[in-house]
Amino acid sequence: MSSSLRRFLITRLLLTIPMVLILVTLIFFIMRVLPGDPIRSQLGPRVSEEQADALRERLGLNRPLYVQYFDFLWDMVTLDFGTALTQGERPIRDELGERLPATIELTIPAIAITALIGILSGAFAAKNRKKPIDYGIRLMSIAIYSIPIFFMGLLFQIIFAVRIPILPLSGRMDTLLLTQFDSKTNFYVLDSILTRNWPALRSTITHLIMPSITLGLALTGVFVRLTRVNMIEMLQSDFITAGRARGIPERRLVYKHALRNTFIPILTLLGLQFAILLAGAVLTETTFSWPGVGRYLVDRIELRDYTAVQATIAVFALFVALISLLMDIIYALIDPRIRY
Amino acid sequence: MESEKINKEITPMPEEVPEWLLDLDKVGFVRRLFLARKWYGGDWWFVAISAVLLVFFIFVGIFPQWFAPYDPREEVGPSLLAPGEAPASYLLITPIESGDIRFIDIADRTNNIGFIIGSAASQAMREVTDELNENAPEGVRYQPRQQRYETLEEGLQSLADGEIDGFIASPEELGETLDDFPTLQDAGTLREEGERGFIFGTNQIGQDIFSRIIWGTRIALIVGLSSALVSFLVGVPLGLISGFVGGSFDRVLTLLMDSLYSFPGLILAISIAAVLGAGIGNIIVSIAVLYVPTYFRIVRGQTLAVKEELYVEAARSIGTKWTTILRKYIFPNVIPSVVIIFSVNVGDAILTEAGLSFLGFGLPPDTPDWGIDLARGQDYVRRAWWLITYPGLMVTMVTLSFSMLGESLSEILNPRLTER
Repeated sequence: MSSSLRRFLITRLLLTIPMVLILVTLIFFIMRVLPGDPIRSQLGPRVSEEQADALRERLGLNRPLYVQYFDFLWDMVTLDFGTALTQGERPIRDELGERLPATIELTIPAIAITALIGILSGAFAAKNRKKPIDYGIRLMSIAIYSIPIFFMGLLFQIIFAVRIPILPLSGRMDTLLLTQFDSKTNFYVLDSILTRNWPALRSTITHLIMPSITLGLALTGVFVRLTRVNMIEMLQSDFITAGRARGIPERRLVYKHALRNTFIPILTLLGLQFAILLAGAVLTETTFSWPGVGRYLVDRIELRDYTAVQATIAVFALFVALISLLMDIIYALIDPRIRY
Repeated sequence: MESEKINKEITPMPEEVPEWLLDLDKVGFVRRLFLARKWYGGDWWFVAISAVLLVFFIFVGIFPQWFAPYDPREEVGPSLLAPGEAPASYLLITPIESGDIRFIDIADRTNNIGFIIGSAASQAMREVTDELNENAPEGVRYQPRQQRYETLEEGLQSLADGEIDGFIASPEELGETLDDFPTLQDAGTLREEGERGFIFGTNQIGQDIFSRIIWGTRIALIVGLSSALVSFLVGVPLGLISGFVGGSFDRVLTLLMDSLYSFPGLILAISIAAVLGAGIGNIIVSIAVLYVPTYFRIVRGQTLAVKEELYVEAARSIGTKWTTILRKYIFPNVIPSVVIIFSVNVGDAILTEAGLSFLGFGLPPDTPDWGIDLARGQDYVRRAWWLITYPGLMVTMVTLSFSMLGESLSEILNPRLTER
């Protein structure tokens, strides 16, 4: 690793910190000016002033705002996150620990679907630029992009769970199986394989099909366009012309030489897609009653649970920043032309 | 340039040239627009089709009352009526001894009318009563007392005993039961014949879905266009100034915008919308915040590139004010990309608005809005597909038109993609 690369990485890392800090601060103060407060949403409207004050004191909400703010920042640094204000006041780390695996289990197949469909059809469209198939693929990608993700999910539910009932409507696993299911990692697929619980695995996978296809397809629209634009540029570059002159078959030229070089810009763009993926996860989880982080966040915003929302947003921001950092590093490492 | 040449070739010069034709550039523009389809092929058609669709949607959004047959907030039919299905007819049952009477004869305040608890008969009766009252002369008010019964037999028995004056039931509810009561008769249907169905059906509270999605067009367009406009008005000047001024001002602003840009927009919008509360203005603001960074990044990047150009240097050297340089020399260069972003942005904003409403952070609950209709329809996914399908299709189509316009324009205007 050259010293200039090291310097780039350090600057990049240092820039990540203020980015996360800005978002976290923003959310902290947004939550404080929200109308309504967690005391009321927890105790209900018919509560005496003393009771409310007592609870406020116990939860530490009566301290000055700046104390709460620095306290919260310290919690973030130590990755402690504190406890939630509502719904049993459990440690937020435990709550996120249960829900984050659910979201990850949903997003991994979704990303795989997106990458596979997106890159292949994008490359195919670029190869056949300005032919009917190109316009067809582009129209499809714009159309997919334009469908609200929850509408796509609801349509799938109507078709595959109501009309032709082959898939379960919502949830992560059959309730019956879930009662006897002992989950250690909260990754249900992993757990059921480790405990050789085949009916549970089957149930988990059938529950996973619709949400992950919905999320994956919804992201495909953007991905096709990115791949196509980059491929078109790549196919116009000199080394492709040179390859063509040497008589390399067109197929090989497109899918091997050009596509391999297109991966680099696509990879960086994938980092930005991650934000879209998280937003998509919120809507998908709501549609399919999937007990993930997105649904958790929305629920807690409704309950005005300051600490839970702050912590979740901070985790999101950290995730986004880390992924984009990771992409930059990979970018710098795999492309020999890039020197910092 | 090539198009201009062709223009001149195919435009014959008449003997008496009208003045407007002398200005060849003016004539050329319209013709060039049409001739352009030869160069741009499918993209030209994409632009044309989406433009036509958009004009149509905007027209619907401006004059929804010309298209919608009913008030979107009013309960106009029975609940959850499937598309095209006629509402069930209801029969009025009366004692034979009262002779040939209609509903209007026993709809007075002193009369009692019975029906089965929980059946849609009460709704049908209310509608008919409302209609009677509308046409009633001054001072006359129809409002029969309602008697609810657990079972049909119970109701018909008390009608036969003379406790009530009439009974309302649908033919399905009635079946053959009437034969057991020889003193009762079927006095005809409650509603007039020829009652029409609803082409897209009704929702769970009996509102006409077709009217709701027509009025929803207005809301969606208002939110989409105004939030895109607000982001444009904030993002473009900020980008111009930031790129032009540079220095630490630029660095701080870029950092701020980058953090906003990298964060999931929907979640940010939810937080802001939750603070501001329900309302159309608040939704516009919370969506507008999301897209400011998009304009900022593009405009700033282009400003950075353009400000090094020789003609900007020249303008500066003769002492042109910096505001004039920004306005006259730099801004025109960013217009093409900003137009593309704007178009895609409107589509995006409509999607985000639908998402916000779907999650319950959007507009006031009874607004005729697609997102709200979708959220409500989710509870009836097993029973009524039409609650979701039609508003969802509308969101898709309007967003599609805006995105297609933006995409194809960028394909046409993007210099990186021109073939060498």
